[in-house]
Amino acid sequence: MEAAAEIFGISWAKLLAQVIIFLAVYFILSKYAFGPILAILEKRRERIAEGEANLAKIKSDLSSAEEKAEEIISQANSRADGMISEARESAAAFEEKERQKAVAEAGKIIAKANEATELERERLLAELKRDFGRLVVDTTGKVTGKVLNDGDRQRINEETAGQIAL
Amino acid sequence: MIFSSGTAEISPLLAVSVAAEPLAAFLTNSIFVAAVVTGLILLAARKATTNMQLVPHKAQNFFEFVVEFLYNQVEAIVGKHVAPRAFPLLATIFIFIVSANWFGLVPGVGTIGWGHGSGFFVDHVTRPVLRPATADLNMTLGIAICAMFVWFWLTMRELGPWGFVKHTFAPKGGMTGIVALVLAPIFFFVGVIELISIAFRPVSLSLRLFGNLFAGENLLHAMGDLGHTIGLGPVPAFITSVLIPVPFYFLEILVGLLQAIVFALLCAVYIKLSTTHDEEHH
Repeated sequence: MEAAAEIFGISWAKLLAQVIIFLAVYFILSKYAFGPILAILEKRRERIAEGEANLAKIKSDLSSAEEKAEEIISQANSRADGMISEARESAAAFEEKERQKAVAEAGKIIAKANEATELERERLLAELKRDFGRLVVDTTGKVTGKVLNDGDRQRINEETAGQIAL
Repeated sequence: MIFSSGTAEISPLLAVSVAAEPLAAFLTNSIFVAAVVTGLILLAARKATTNMQLVPHKAQNFFEFVVEFLYNQVEAIVGKHVAPRAFPLLATIFIFIVSANWFGLVPGVGTIGWGHGSGFFVDHVTRPVLRPATADLNMTLGIAICAMFVWFWLTMRELGPWGFVKHTFAPKGGMTGIVALVLAPIFFFVGVIELISIAFRPVSLSLRLFGNLFAGENLLHAMGDLGHTIGLGPVPAFITSVLIPVPFYFLEILVGLLQAIVFALLCAVYIKLSTTHDEEHH
């Protein structure tokens, strides 16, 4: 045994020195390297798991938001359709009302125009009758050679006016 | 004959001496290299763990990769429950051994030192300044003893003394009644064999690692000196000393890695075997 130890150069002092060196590496690496590295690996694993969970949540939120958005859009579309048809109806009603108003206005204008025309016609007829009566009086005076007094003139005028059926 | 009986004389068949060469009173060249390797490992670990962030820098990224890979391997072997306590030892074993093994391949290790000859260059270095740390049985035995102490601590923690005795000697496979009584002597005998194998584990672990690394060191030196050995002239001997060892360097890179894996893996298996509760088998 001793001979083998001598051949291999084994001695307590050297063995102890090597053990101390190895134990130093063991304790230092355990405390200052493996511990922090494993802790940061665990932290990263947790972060990744958290990120994955967040991603899943974001995906589900996104899909629910998309569903909600689609629902809102379809609601808005149906509401817009309703508003458009309502607007069309009110526009048609307004148009009808305005048309009727315009027709009534036009009727009034026509009636006024007719009235004015009638008055003008009557005025012209009266003037014509007057001119015609004067013409008849003047002609009667010239034909008969008689000087017509106011009474004659009045009578001739009235007879002429009575015979003119205009 | 490789060893001379009862002395530490170097056999002419070996290019490197079996024992580490002393540099000072208690300082051998392998202890010196072990200290250097320790310094390098701690320096790298410090660089990797300084200012650690969730988005890692290069050194942190590499160290994290190594630690995560090793942790997953350890967890796969010893289980989730024991892994946090077994990991520091197994990871240290792997990192230290692989670093020490590969450091032994650095040019100058084993080739710079004192030896026969005159002038600055010597014909044969008999007392190198640097010797691979794992090519010294003190180192490999030291690591194996530490590993066995941690193994013992983990086993006692998991099973307790009585649990360990039951685990080693009691009939396994859920046997009860007469069958268990009949088979008890056999299981007891198996337990005794198991204890002997446990006692020899540090020896087998340390000799395997030492043997491989020491053989590798010798191989590289022998290949490097091949030109001189077969009597070539100075220039062809120099060329062969450069070219011939190259493939063996690659072999030793592989051997260095494999031996670190084997040592750490065996320790993990030992821990697994003794910390597994019997009921977990069913």
